[in-house]
Amino acid sequence: MADTSRVTPLAAPAPVMSPVTLLRIVIILTVLAVWELLSYSGWLYQDVVPSLLAIGGALIDLLTHGEYYFNLAVTAGEVGTALLLGGSLGLIVGITLGANRFLSKAFESYLYYLGPTPKIIFFPIMIMWFGVGPGSKIALGTLSCFFPVALSAAAGMRQIDKTLIRVGKSFRASTAQMVFKIYLPAMRHPIINGVRLGLGVALIGTLLAETKLSNKGIGFLIINAYSTFDMPRMYAMLIVLFILSIGANAVVGRLGGLDTIKRN
Amino acid sequence: MTPPAAQQSNNDILVVDDVVVRFDTPDGSVTAVDHVSFGVRPGEFLSVIGPSGCGKSTLFNVIGGLLGHTEGMVSVAGVTINGPHQSIGMVFQEESTFPWRSVTDNVAFPLELIGMPKAQRIERARHFISLVGLDGFENRYPNELSGGMRQRVSLARTLASEPKILLMDEPFAALDEQTRLLLGDKVLQIQQQLKQTTLLITHNITEAVQMSDRILVMTYRPGRVKRIVDIDLPRPRTSEIVGSEAFGRYVAQIWADLREEASRGMRDEEDHMMHPAGSKS
Ligand SMILES: Nc1ncnc2c1ncn2[C@@H]1O[C@H](COP(=O)(O)OP(=O)(O)OP(=O)(O)O)[C@@H](O)[C@H]1O
Ligand SMILES: [Mg+2]
Repeated sequence: MADTSRVTPLAAPAPVMSPVTLLRIVIILTVLAVWELLSYSGWLYQDVVPSLLAIGGALIDLLTHGEYYFNLAVTAGEVGTALLLGGSLGLIVGITLGANRFLSKAFESYLYYLGPTPKIIFFPIMIMWFGVGPGSKIALGTLSCFFPVALSAAAGMRQIDKTLIRVGKSFRASTAQMVFKIYLPAMRHPIINGVRLGLGVALIGTLLAETKLSNKGIGFLIINAYSTFDMPRMYAMLIVLFILSIGANAVVGRLGGLDTIKRN
Repeated sequence: MTPPAAQQSNNDILVVDDVVVRFDTPDGSVTAVDHVSFGVRPGEFLSVIGPSGCGKSTLFNVIGGLLGHTEGMVSVAGVTINGPHQSIGMVFQEESTFPWRSVTDNVAFPLELIGMPKAQRIERARHFISLVGLDGFENRYPNELSGGMRQRVSLARTLASEPKILLMDEPFAALDEQTRLLLGDKVLQIQQQLKQTTLLITHNITEAVQMSDRILVMTYRPGRVKRIVDIDLPRPRTSEIVGSEAFGRYVAQIWADLREEASRGMRDEEDHMMHPAGSKS
């Protein structure tokens, strides 16, 4: 009889929840239950695994105080600026490398070597150049963001259909017109992917820098909570941060996705 | 063989003079176009026909100013070209619509480049879209169209730039026979109306005879001018002319020329497949 339902799927009543969603909920609930048990068991220091109630309280406390939003804005500003600077720089360098075989042969391998290097090792230099304020955080975020954007732009540039370039040239498009009306739109998928990766590493670079040496920003708050052993507050901030990164990624992905549906 | 330079006259709008194109490949230099010379008169419809791989697209790109040549020169209205020329509009053999632009925006592309105001260029684009029979598809994107429809979008886009000389590389190759004939009629009609100088590259004999004032037959590798045939059929011509006796004679004549070249090409390629290295020359 099981076969019947497979042959006529429309006849089967639609499940309230997809099995995947259900599984996810079950897993999350299990993790929370285990966490809570662990917290009350006393096997670990109470402070390392605070109870959910304490974390909830800290979360509310966090979200009802202006201080948190101020620091959030600082970090967001740093990440945004880093994305803008590193992204446009990466785009320019990537397009140049993609367009010029000679330059690409000469320099692109360095990008591949430097790309995966943890950029935090440059933080001391950034502090010397840009000070302990947001400047050094932006610099580190910019540096992190630059590589994935440049590499995807260079690869994307080489994948452009040569015929489309010839069409542009045959209509005597200027260099600027070629870039804005042909190269960039033709590369939109690799570029969006690069920006997505860039956003991730800019976030990591900025936050990491804030945890090292700073007096503002989310990274600073987190490390501050840690050093004063305010664990519920630290977890609360981690949760908010987690949700925000998911949101940011979804927004960038959406931009790419919408494009895909209509314009292929 | 016909002496190549004999066919030129000095009021030609487009002159191809002794052009040679060689490509450097891993197994040596390949001559794709070998001392080709011909002229195109103002308002003339000239077809270039030849077997696959004889260098037609190469010649097309050289005339369009997109490919440098090893020897010789190309001139438009007496001026040597060194890059894409304003008076020349190209329709490519390959897929060439912009997938991120709607049909209207594709066709309006050349108008956008010259800075025509939006309302005006959309109106112009609409005109050419309807000319190639794509009414109702203005807001579609290329991936929603058939291959033949996309090719018509490319044609409309080039027509929209209103070139003095229209250069087409097998624009109808992807179309079925009926659409090909109808669109051929359309192109011919437009060409006659605008008295537009047209150079059509094709390997379809019927198409070439139906549309052309003259047909240039190319040899198989290296691509040379084998013969230039005047097509003395009355105008206006439509696809109906295909059945006439005179038409049949022209087709037979060109077919005889081409068969020789095509079979030479086939032999050459078989050779090449059996002895991949050094079988050339
Ligand atoms: N960039 C290139 N590098 C090396 N050889 C090339 C290059 N472009 C074309 N050729 C060679 O030049 C010759 C002519 O090619 P071309 O594309 O002009 O032929 P065609 O007449 O347009 O053929 P078709 O009818 O199949 O389109 C072929 O032998 C091809 O292999
Ligand atoms: Mg070709």
